[in-house]
Amino acid sequence: MNRLYPEKLLNIITIDALEEKLVESFRKYGASGYTILRAQGEGSSGVRSDMTGFDANIMIKVIIPPERLTAMLDSLERKINKGHHLTVFIVDVEVLSPEKFNARMR
Amino acid sequence: MPSISNLLLPAVLFFVLGIFTRVIKSDLRFPPDLAKILSIYLLMAIGLHGGNALAKADLFIALNSVMWAFILGFTLPIIGYLILLATRKVGLLDAAAISAHYGSVSAGTFLTAIAYLDNAGIKYEDYPLIMLAIMESPAIVVGLLLAAKARRTIAARKSKAASHGDEKLALTNSDNVDNEEASFTSLLHDAFTNGSVVILLGSMVIGAISLPSGMEKLFPFVDDIFMGVLCLFLFEMGNVAGKRLGDLRQVGIVLALFGIVMPLIGGVLGVYIGLNILDFSVGGATLVAVLAASASYIAVPPAMRLAIPEANPSYYLTLSLGITFPFNVIVGIPLFHKLAQLNAI
Repeated sequence: MNRLYPEKLLNIITIDALEEKLVESFRKYGASGYTILRAQGEGSSGVRSDMTGFDANIMIKVIIPPERLTAMLDSLERKINKGHHLTVFIVDVEVLSPEKFNARMR
Repeated sequence: MPSISNLLLPAVLFFVLGIFTRVIKSDLRFPPDLAKILSIYLLMAIGLHGGNALAKADLFIALNSVMWAFILGFTLPIIGYLILLATRKVGLLDAAAISAHYGSVSAGTFLTAIAYLDNAGIKYEDYPLIMLAIMESPAIVVGLLLAAKARRTIAARKSKAASHGDEKLALTNSDNVDNEEASFTSLLHDAFTNGSVVILLGSMVIGAISLPSGMEKLFPFVDDIFMGVLCLFLFEMGNVAGKRLGDLRQVGIVLALFGIVMPLIGGVLGVYIGLNILDFSVGGATLVAVLAASASYIAVPPAMRLAIPEANPSYYLTLSLGITFPFNVIVGIPLFHKLAQLNAI
């Protein structure tokens, strides 16, 4: 029988120009990996539906062990305080093979 | 009327058609990344072509053009910043971000100007192409410096307003300054290693040092299909610009006027520098005017999102893409050509 383990799924929606910096911080704060999707939408800072490829939005999904989550969120909050537009939310998820999510990125 | 002959260029007509598809709310949607793919081709083709021609260029004139490209790139944003502050319609950081766009250049506008000159059979020098490559970057740096100054002014205002003795606030402020200085060097690096700069300069070098026989084989790719690709690119950019036109109400009439006045100032400066200082022909001076008049909508917006996140992107995108780009393509290019003609006599 499959056993499921609780984990936290961190979702970030932001500009693709921030991608490298965010990946850097995932590495620093011990995420096991990340997935990036191209995204478009609209919010308080206007429409973000650029499909020309020059100025796009991304959505990043990261599963991160709960004990490493706070430091990660602090770093995101510092970016928001600087004025960057980040939409951040956390979802409770259940995963198979928790050891995969405890390992750090290579 | 020169403005009518410009409107009858296929490339410009496709640009207008692109805007029109938005006006009539057509369901036309371009596939993702098409404009990016086309712009890589356009920069590569114009770079190869220009580099090949510049291999026989006069080094002194080339260096002089580079110097004036830097001067324009550093001066135009400061002029724009002062005008924007005088309008009192935007904050300091918005003004810094917008003016960075106006100091930088739009390759799309430059290529349309080349199509215009080719079509009218007007000769032009190849040196403005080097200026196109140079002028992408300095304005980004000036924008960053203006923003850094603006942040200091805003922080000073805040600390004056707040009651003194709030040491915690002072501490977090100095933290922020450290982070910003660290990222300033990386932003400088980004400004000068920007993708379009690398494609353009790289292709120019390849065009300059390649064997003539090898370049000959490239002509179908570089020359024959160039205007067709430009039409396709302007078709999509017209579509994107049309979408931005809908945001006009958000920026207001005064800022919209800035989107027309600023290219006029740049264009006049460009004609003067092109004719009287760099000693170019009417065609060459028109190209310098177009460089000085155009506002970036490809390289600078992402750079400003990163460097001045506090600024409102709908201001600078609507101005550069929704107002200045269509203005230059439809009215500016023939106008600057006329101006250069009048001054050359």
